[in-house]
Amino acid sequence: MSLFLLRITIALYSIGLLHSFLTIVTRRKTLFRVALIGIGSGFLSHGLSIVYPWIEGRQPPITNTHEALSFFAFVIVLAFLVSYARYRLDSLSVFVFPLVFILTLAASLISSPPQPRPEILQSLWFYIHIPTTFLGYAAFFVAFSAGIMYLIQENELKRKRPQAFYYRLPSLEVCDDLGYRSLSVGFPLLTVGIVAGALWANKALNQPWGWDPKIIWSLITWLMYAVLIHYRLSAGLRGRRAALMSIVGFIIVLFTFIGTRHQGSAHSFIQQ
Amino acid sequence: MNVALVGVSHKTAPVNIRERLHFPDLRLPEALSLLCSRYEFPESMILSTCNRVEVVTYAADPPEAVRKIRDFLCSFHQVPYETMREFLYDFTQVDAVRHIFRVAASLDSMVLGEPQILGQVKTAFSTAQSAGTIGSTLSLLMNRAFFVAKRVRSETSIASSAVSISYAAVELAKKIFNDLKGKTVLILGAGKMSELAAKHLASSGVSEVLVWNRTYQRAIELAEVFKGEAVRTEELFKHIERADIIISSTGSPAFILNRADGERIIHLRKNRPVFIIDIAVPRDVDPEINKVSNIFLYDIDDLRNVIDANLRQRQREAQSAEEIVRQEVESLLNHSRTRDATPAILTLREHWEVIRKEELAKSRKRLGILSPEQEAVLESLTQSLINKMLHGPTSELKRLSRHPANDDHIDAVKRMFGLKD
Repeated sequence: MSLFLLRITIALYSIGLLHSFLTIVTRRKTLFRVALIGIGSGFLSHGLSIVYPWIEGRQPPITNTHEALSFFAFVIVLAFLVSYARYRLDSLSVFVFPLVFILTLAASLISSPPQPRPEILQSLWFYIHIPTTFLGYAAFFVAFSAGIMYLIQENELKRKRPQAFYYRLPSLEVCDDLGYRSLSVGFPLLTVGIVAGALWANKALNQPWGWDPKIIWSLITWLMYAVLIHYRLSAGLRGRRAALMSIVGFIIVLFTFIGTRHQGSAHSFIQQ
Repeated sequence: MNVALVGVSHKTAPVNIRERLHFPDLRLPEALSLLCSRYEFPESMILSTCNRVEVVTYAADPPEAVRKIRDFLCSFHQVPYETMREFLYDFTQVDAVRHIFRVAASLDSMVLGEPQILGQVKTAFSTAQSAGTIGSTLSLLMNRAFFVAKRVRSETSIASSAVSISYAAVELAKKIFNDLKGKTVLILGAGKMSELAAKHLASSGVSEVLVWNRTYQRAIELAEVFKGEAVRTEELFKHIERADIIISSTGSPAFILNRADGERIIHLRKNRPVFIIDIAVPRDVDPEINKVSNIFLYDIDDLRNVIDANLRQRQREAQSAEEIVRQEVESLLNHSRTRDATPAILTLREHWEVIRKEELAKSRKRLGILSPEQEAVLESLTQSLINKMLHGPTSELKRLSRHPANDDHIDAVKRMFGLKD
């Protein structure tokens, strides 16, 4: 049932993805309504596919690779919808939905039959650790997309020869603001996620801080964003440099999320 | 749709020809009533702007109407037709409909997508309405044209980009700052150009205007126009960091702002961006300043490049606009054709209603006195017979009439039922 819902979700997201691109290419705002319907209803069925196993009496499905990918895609869509409500940027969907589509598709392909969950993962801290970290990552992804949009638009304006992107991307101010707000939402979430992880590790493994690669990289991510936010607040860091840092930051996030997956660590519980 | 149109426009005629055929607003009612009385057009309207003069009429015989309109144009303005012949164009029926849609949607304008033309067409329409020369055909056609113009405007981006220097400056400022509310403009050198650009920025929401000029008195004068603030030369570099947008047009032979200045300003502004518009010739601002992060410098040529790019953008958008026009022409034709079929359907029904009544009367004579129930049965029997029989032809007539290729079939149906006049 859950997998079936996920497949419906993929179909709906692909409608959203297709119409997002059509909107941007043809600049017909009316097409974006279709995109939003696809995205919105996809989001609902995606939510159901995640909640379904839960109401069946099992634990929240956020522990194996399939579930992690699906959940990550879900929170990215959530982040998109929240920023869309605030900024009405159709162009953002072009950055967000290819990734969402790939993550959801990957999740549906590597789906495995539900397996008994290790005792170790059944803790309140764990259920805070995962969603907050993922929500933080999703916010960082929005900041990353805003950074890319900023760099492209800035390049158009500096070159003084307006081309396709000049007409289709939002103003520098909006990109910068979106990037900044995403960071100021993402950073506290990541902080809570890391603290919850440490508390959980303390309880479950009797040590708050194991130096496995994922933890090291998470710390690097955290420091990187801490520096970025610090300079934004104190020295008025903004524009190009802030955009570049948001992009680098998310590349580190990706590395933390995917790159360290199979390096054999305290974070690969399911493979064990 | 029996419409005929004759006119001249910027595409076919130079201004000295267009002005000879121009209708001053005051003479329009007179011209319209002439079209109605002497030329016997049941419906007509005249669009006369600086770029085009067009006369549209509803007439049973469009080619004949074209000749009459030509005659009207030349005799009204007292110009010999021979001298006008090469400049006049004419459209009839579908072509006229298409042309009117394209004009209203600003696809035939000198500056593609410029917004004034729709207003001018609307004025021409209401002038004709008050002159009493608009009937159901032109009313349907023109309202449709306004709808098409609206569709083009909302569904394509044909009019969304700037095509004048001042608007290009505003557009660029919005691409940097998004909202100009709360932003400050500094005008360096109080000239006509800078005043115009500042005016456009001010009407787009800029809240504060600072003016510097070599002579302080002139700065005060211009500052008053914008309810702004005049800046003295000694204090210029103190105030310059306040400016989000700088418009420069001084007569200075050398650069007044260089890269080092730019870096200093950005540092003082804590990286908040600055948009510099240099419309001075020779230029006031060292082009190197554009390399400073968060400074965007546009000189007059750069602004022209933006306008050129915007015009090319409009041309691309015009293709989707043409597609909308094509759809709408087709849908209007279908609509008017269904209307054309309606009289045939009505006559068909009337024709059979007469026959039904006659036959009913004959039978009654033979049947003698009937009870009310029997009357009702007879009535409904004959009625439903007619309905059943006419159902096929009626819906077929409606369907056939949507495509011009089926005119022959419609004629055949009419002839079959003895309706062909």
